[in-house]
Parts: sequence; structure tokens; C-alpha cells
Amino acid sequence: MEKKTKTEGSDAVPSLSPWKAFTVHLICGLGLAMALWVAHKVYSIDLISDPSYTLRLIWYWKAVGRGTLGLLVGAIVNVLGAVALGAPVGVNYFLKTVNWSLVMSLFTVVPAASVYGSSWMDWQRIFAHTKPSGSIDYMICLPAHGAVIGAWFGAWPMPLDWERPWQEWPICVSYGAIAGYLIAMVASFGFTLLRREVPHVKGE
Amino acid sequence: MDALLAWRWRRREEKGRIWPFLSIFCLILVLHLVAILLFAKGFLLTRTELPYYSNCSDISQSPCVQPPHSLPLSNKNKKPWMDKLQVLHKLASQEGTSARIFKAIADPPTTSLQRLKGLTTGGLPTFIDVGNSFGAPAILEDNLISQLAQNGKRVVMMGDDTWLQLFPHHFNECYPFPSFNVKDLHTVDNGCTKHLFPSLYEGDWDVLIAHFLGVKVIDVLESQSGPGGLHENTLLLVMGDHGQTINGDHGGGNAEELDFAVTVSALLGVPFPFGSIGCVNLELYALAAGTWNSEGSIRGICPNNSSTGEWMQNYVNVLCINSWQVKRYIDVYSTSSVIGFSNEDLLHLSALYAQAAEMNLMLHKNESCHTSLPDLRRQIDAYFSFLASVAELARSKWTQFNVKTMGIGFGMMLISLLVHLLAIRRLDKLCGVYFAFCAKSGISFGLTFSCLIVAIRACSFLSNSYILEEGKVAIFLAATTGMLNLRYSIIKKKMLLEAVVFLLLISILRFSIELGLSKQAVSSVLLDICPSWMHAVAEGYPFWMHIAELVPVLALIILAFMLQKSIARSSCSIVLKNVITGTIFSYLLIAAYWTLETKLLNPPLLLQGIRRNFIAQIIYFIGCVQLLSLAFLRFIGEEKNSNWEESVIIKIMVMLSVWSSTVILLSGRLGPLVALASVLGGWCIRRLKCLEQDSKNGNLQTLCLYSSPVTQWSLLAVCLFFCTGHWFEEFILVPQAILLTIDTFGFSHILPIFGLPFLVVRQLPFGQGEQRKRFFFMQLSQVYLMYGLITATSVTFTILCVTIQRRHLMVWGLFAPKFVFEVVGLILTDVLIILALLYYLDRVEDAPLDQ
Repeated sequence: MEKKTKTEGSDAVPSLSPWKAFTVHLICGLGLAMALWVAHKVYSIDLISDPSYTLRLIWYWKAVGRGTLGLLVGAIVNVLGAVALGAPVGVNYFLKTVNWSLVMSLFTVVPAASVYGSSWMDWQRIFAHTKPSGSIDYMICLPAHGAVIGAWFGAWPMPLDWERPWQEWPICVSYGAIAGYLIAMVASFGFTLLRREVPHVKGE
Repeated sequence: MDALLAWRWRRREEKGRIWPFLSIFCLILVLHLVAILLFAKGFLLTRTELPYYSNCSDISQSPCVQPPHSLPLSNKNKKPWMDKLQVLHKLASQEGTSARIFKAIADPPTTSLQRLKGLTTGGLPTFIDVGNSFGAPAILEDNLISQLAQNGKRVVMMGDDTWLQLFPHHFNECYPFPSFNVKDLHTVDNGCTKHLFPSLYEGDWDVLIAHFLGVKVIDVLESQSGPGGLHENTLLLVMGDHGQTINGDHGGGNAEELDFAVTVSALLGVPFPFGSIGCVNLELYALAAGTWNSEGSIRGICPNNSSTGEWMQNYVNVLCINSWQVKRYIDVYSTSSVIGFSNEDLLHLSALYAQAAEMNLMLHKNESCHTSLPDLRRQIDAYFSFLASVAELARSKWTQFNVKTMGIGFGMMLISLLVHLLAIRRLDKLCGVYFAFCAKSGISFGLTFSCLIVAIRACSFLSNSYILEEGKVAIFLAATTGMLNLRYSIIKKKMLLEAVVFLLLISILRFSIELGLSKQAVSSVLLDICPSWMHAVAEGYPFWMHIAELVPVLALIILAFMLQKSIARSSCSIVLKNVITGTIFSYLLIAAYWTLETKLLNPPLLLQGIRRNFIAQIIYFIGCVQLLSLAFLRFIGEEKNSNWEESVIIKIMVMLSVWSSTVILLSGRLGPLVALASVLGGWCIRRLKCLEQDSKNGNLQTLCLYSSPVTQWSLLAVCLFFCTGHWFEEFILVPQAILLTIDTFGFSHILPIFGLPFLVVRQLPFGQGEQRKRFFFMQLSQVYLMYGLITATSVTFTILCVTIQRRHLMVWGLFAPKFVFEVVGLILTDVLIILALLYYLDRVEDAPLDQ
């Protein structure tokens, strides 16, 4: 269910090879078929017997699947990054790490996933080149970078021997991420305002 | 200007000298040496411990009258000195003669261990007490407790287990409690109270030491020490072993603590500790004498005399012995110690002592009982001035940092950094000019970022917490650079594999650092960090144990295989091939050694005895022979090889392989795995460097090109150091210094430095023959300069940190060992760089002849 929904955003890619287009359509079609099949088997309804409920099931699960996919992938990426940077691993930390990574994913990957879907070009433009072009790009790119950089700085006080409760693993990193996220949101808002004004001035 | 420089450079090249390359490094080495020597002279306070002990019979050598020994039991309690001890204030105000409050001020190393040492020896403990080993802190010097034990006093101790570390065999009875956890004041105190009262009632001791951490317990003691109680004639000393700052930290300052050992010795009637430089405290002595007088006045020699006069006479006698003992110590110390006192100081002290002794002689000449009080007082003053100046001198010598020398040393370090920067800059320009590039000094992102990383790492040395977690900090920074690399590779759409592998490698290194820490962790605090499955592996599951024993052997075989393949492919001289074959043989020997050691095979015991050192010695021997042959080869010059780059690569590989066998053997089972990791890491960094190069596309600013790979390289070296299970607290001086050096610095200094040319070689997209070669050597020196700069920066910050924190509680426990370690690493880096340049650069002389 989740996998097939991934391709929905692929219409943003300008040109596709025929093979790719075929794959995309196939997966979409299969997804639809799958959704109908699940509705029929699990809920024992179909479009005829209960059109509104079936349609709702289809859109609901497709949307949730797509969001969840981004969420999960983002969470995994965040966890891998955090572990490489030295986040503690262990049974005690498991739940904390999972929840922290989900939050981080919501800050970073999920907005981009919702807007760009699986358009690799856009992802690359936003996260590798950091060249946002429109206000939507700014709204996605800046907060995501802000959250990551904030979390990075947030890890700094962790080794200090102040023995404060907030020096535990995900706490100060989360604070850092939230702070970075908020600051970056303000910045992106500023950029959006600026970008609105610049053409205005030029026009005059 | 640039053209001139280039011209000069070329002229030097034509002379066939590699001196300009080496002279910079030699200059830097000399600068570092001078700076470090100056700084260490001011910072590392050194005192020689003397193994002499005082005896009762010694007193006959002194010109003094022997005082009577008749003091009752004594009970001393150690307490942090705070205003909360209201009971003591009450006692002091109520019964003015039997209780008194003193202010004891402690000298800089204010940890319990150092302070207790100071208290009991009456001397000034310093960082390097020569003659004492770093591992076992037991006091070998003459001290109060050993004097008590020698003179048949029964000593009972309870409380802080630091006492047991210091005096393992001196107590009749002891109830030690761990004082490790700072937050836990109750374990020690509750334990103390439990044992204290039974002991108090039994009374089968002469001296009872109760070391509390908290201060509440004192209330209960009040009831016991009142008049009519069991211990009416007991001297109760309540004192803190180190001061407290307002924040409750351990404090520091100037001292009167020296006087404790000697005063208590005088009161208890045991000889003064040999190395004591304290002075019998007037008030404390008077206090104790109050009890003594009450019974002693009957048998006084001169009944007519007032008790004050008699007491003062006694005090003068005690001071006389005291001064004589201090004088003897100072004399013995200055003759036997390497770093003694200056002559003027000694002369001054002798004059003071002579004066006091003269007066004493005068005093005794008129044998009458009616010595006038002013005379006695003057006599006391004379002794006081002598003892005070001794203490002053000793303190300036042993406990006060020479800030001026330290400052000069630090300044020299800064100058050396400047030299580094200038040299890098100049070489950069030269490279640009040489190939007629437009020297576009655009500062790339990579350069900025690597500067930032180096700065962060250097600044992290300013805090003790970051020093303790240095491995994690290095991992954090290395992973950050790895992530940026990944980002780059996504932009370029290539080398994705290398970037990911590098990140994975860093993650694995990170876990192995934690594993290494948890293996040697003693405290339960560290055990929390280590994942639970490691315990599972360690405890049960023989299967996993076997795997753990097999993996290093497998890794070794893989390494040997890689070497084998590399020599099979390349065309190098027979000598070099033989050297590499020797290394492969060493690997196999190590593998055999480890296989034999496992429990899988259970070899006969006889074999075990022979094998243990024999194989290791063979491997060391092979390593030495290989090194010698390489050096020999370098001196006689080699046959011309048409493809010099190939030969350079072979050279690097041979050098690394020669060192690796010894390093791997010394680092134990983890060795081959770490070696594999370092090979992989080196490969990734080298490959990823191309990424940057391509992005520049011809615009070869060496500085920009190499800054981030070199930074990564050095970070990786730090990670590898912590990976091999070290952390720098493990600071032991053992006789086999060379082996220890190889073990300690093998993966972090020796291999990375000799492997650094891998980054440079075969990276030039242009240039032919001689030009190309010359450019290669310039870049090589520049890369070495950068590596040296990174090391020197961290050392400079360590020095700065040590200077700032020189009054810190942890200064001898943490900062000073760190300083010593970093400094040794820096000097080693400099020397190794010079050696490596000598080894790799020899072809520059051959090159012009070729053409």
C-alpha cells in the first residue's frame, strides 16, 4: 500500500523514459487495484455497495500511506545520521530515539515528501544544492536545514558534566532542533516577504 | 615578488637540495621543543621524594633537649570547614582553653589524595613526585601514619577509602568506604557512624581517624566529649582536608596545612616525618598543653616557675627539634635531588638557622630555671622566621606555577602556529606561480569548514568534560565531515559508495570506541552506557566467543592477502618485495600466535611457555630488519624507475606494512580490525578528495583541495587512537618505552603520518616528468604542514586550557596528563613528519639528474 503511493508525485519530473512511465502507471494501477481488493476482502464492501465509504478508504489510505512513507524514510535517515554522530544506542534509549527521529522526520523530510513526492531532482535541489527557487522551496528548505543544524548544535552540551536532567540524549538535541526549526521558519517567512517585494520594486 | 620567490625556489632546486622543505619542519620542531620545555618548566611542578625515615634516636644528633612524651589519646576527625559547624563554635566559645578554631588553608592540588598526602607527610605534594609510580599512589615517603605505626601506636581508620590507597599496611583496623560517587555522601558517613561509637567505647586505640564527607555527624559527638565522659582527655581534631569555595567546590590557596603533621607528631610524641617542612603550631600546641599542664605541673622541674614559662620552654625545645629536622631535610634534599634549591636561598636559610641555633645555645648556657619570658619569646620568633622562610621557599618551588615561563612557552607555540600558516601560504603561492595559474585566492567552502572543524576540536580541549569524551567529539566531527561529503557526492552524482562507506565506517568506529571503554570500565556509570548485548556476548554464548577469536585472525589473513595482491601486481625492486613478504610472514606469525592462544585448541603447557615471548620477539626482529633495510636502501639510492609515481606508492605501502605488523601485534585482537578500518578509511578519504578536485576543475588551489581531506585524515587518526581501547588517562610509565610508544601512537600517529602521501600521489591531472614530480613534493610538504598545523593547534589549545585551569580541582588528575600526552604526540608528529619527508623526498635529488 505504501510503496505504490510513493510514485504519485512523480508527475513533477519533466520528462520520463517510456519504461519509467510504464512502471509508474503500472504501480499506480496496481495500487488502485490493491486498494479496491483490500476494501472488498477486509471490509467486505465495494464501490457499488458503499461508494462513499470505499472512496474514503481509498483516499484515506493512499494519503496516509504516502505521508507515513515519507515519515518512516525520514525517520530512518535521521536515526542513521544520529547514530553516526554518536547518539547512544540501547534498549533504554530505543523509544526515545524512535520518537525523536519521527519528530525530526516531520521537521525535515515530511514537508518535502508531501510537496515533491519522489521527484529526485527537487530533492536534490533542496537538500544537496540548497538552491530554493520559490517561496514554497524556502518554506521547505530553510526549516529543514534549521532543524538539522539546530539539532547538531543541540548535541554540544551533552558531554558536559553539569549533571542537569536536560543533558540526556534526545532532550537537548530536540530543544536545539525545535529552536533551529522556529528560527528558520521566521527566516523563511522573511525571505518570502522579500521575494514578494523584489519584483514589485523592479516593476516600478 | 612571487616571481622572485619562484626564481629563488628554482635555483635552490637546481642546487639539488631538499633543504628548503626540511628546514621549515626543523624550524617548527625546534620551536615546539623550546615552547614545550619552557611551558613545562613553569607548569609541571617537580619534587623528589626522599626515602629516608626519622627515628627516635635521631634526636641525639640534634642540639636540642628531648621533650617529655606524655600526651593522651587523640581523635581526629576530618571535616569540610564550613560555618555550619555550630557545635564547634559553641565549644570554642564555652570552654576557651580546650577548644579552638583554626584555619587550615590548602595548596593548589586540592584533591583528597594529594591533600591527605600533604597532611600526613607535612610536605607539599606535586604533580610529579619523582620516585612515586603513577599507578600506585601509596606514600613511600616518611609520614605521620607510618611514624605512628612504627612507634607502636594503634591506628584505627574509618571512612574515605583514599586513606587505604595511601597507607595500605599501616592501620590496625580499618573500615573503608568508597568515596567514588560525588553525590553519595551517605554511604561513607553512615558507615563511619556505625563503627565510630563502638570504637569510641572500646578505647583500644591510640589514634582514631574518621573521615566523613558530610557534616551532620558532629552533633552526636558532642555528647561523648563532654567533661566526665569517657574521653575527657582525648584530643579531638576536627578539620577539613581541603577548603571549600563558596560554590562548594574544592578550593585552593595558600597554606598552613603543612603544620598539621608536625604538630600532631609533637603532641603524640613520635618523631617528625622526615620530609616535613611544617612548624609546630603555637596555638594547637598550647591547647594540648593545657591538658598536659594540669597533670604535669606536679612533676615540673622548677616548681617556682610559672606554668607559662615551663610550657614555653617545652615549646622552644620542640621548635628546636622541628627546625633541626627541617634543616636536615632541606640539606639532604638539595644534595640528593636533581632540581634542588638555588644557592642564595640555601645560604639565607643557613644564616637564619645559625642565628636561631646560636640563640638556643645562649639560652641553655645559663642553665637556670629562670629563663626570662622575653628571651624565650625571641627564641621562638627566631625559629618561626626560619621555618616560615623554609615553607615560603618550598612553596614557591613546589606549588607555585611560574606564570611568566608558561606565558613565554605559550607565546612560542603561537609563533610556531604563525610559522606554519606562513609556510603553507608561501608554498601555496609557489605552487600557483610555478604552474602559472592565476592565483585566485577564493576561499572555498571546504577550507572554511575544515578550519571550523579544527577550531571546534581545539576549543573542546578547554573543558574537562570534552577532554574525557574526546573520542566521541572526534567521532562527532568526523561524521559531520562525512555527511558533508555525502552531500557533495549527491550533488556530483558520483562516489556515493565511498561517502556511504565512510559514514558507516565512522559509525562502526564509534561502537568500537564504546566497546573499548566498556571493557575497561570499572565504575557502574560507564556500564549503563554500554549496550546490554555486549554483556550477553561477554557472559554466555561460547559460539560468540569463538567468533570473536576468529574474526581478528580472518582480518589478518585478509590484510596479508591484500598485500600479496599489491606486490604481485606491481613491478618493484626485489628488496622491497622481500620486505613486504617479510610483513606477510609476520602477519601469519601473529595469526598463528593468536590461534594458539585461543581455548579452541588447548595446546600443551610446555609449548605455551616457549611461545609467549618468542613469536613476539621474532616479529619485532623482523620489523627492525625491515626498517633497517629500508633506511639502507634510501641511503645507497635506488635503481631508476621509469614510473616514479608507482614507486612512490610502493614506498608508502612498504613503509606502512613494516610498521603495521608490530603495531597490530601490540594492539592485540582489535589490531587487525582497526588496521582494516584504517585502510578502508584512507581509501575513502583519498577517493572522496577527487570529488573536490573535480569540482574545482583545473583550478588547483592546493590549500582548498587538501584542507578537508587532511582534516578528515587527522580526525580519523584520533578516532583510531580511541578505537584501540586507549583513553589518555591510561598514563603509565613503563621501562619498555619504545614498545609503549608504538602501542600508544601506532594507529594515531605513526601509520597516518606515513600514509599521508597516499592523498597526494597520482592526483595530478596534468604535468610531465620533472615538473610533475616537483609539484608533487611541494604538495606533499604542504599536506604535511597542514597535518602539523592541525596537531599543533590542538596542542596550543591544550596548553591554553592547562594555563587557565591550573587551579582546577582536576589539574593533576586530568589536565596535566592530557598536556603531557598531547605534547609527546606533537613532538612525535614533528619528528615523524621529518623522517617521512626524508624517506619520501629523496627522489627529488634524483629527479633533476633524470632529465
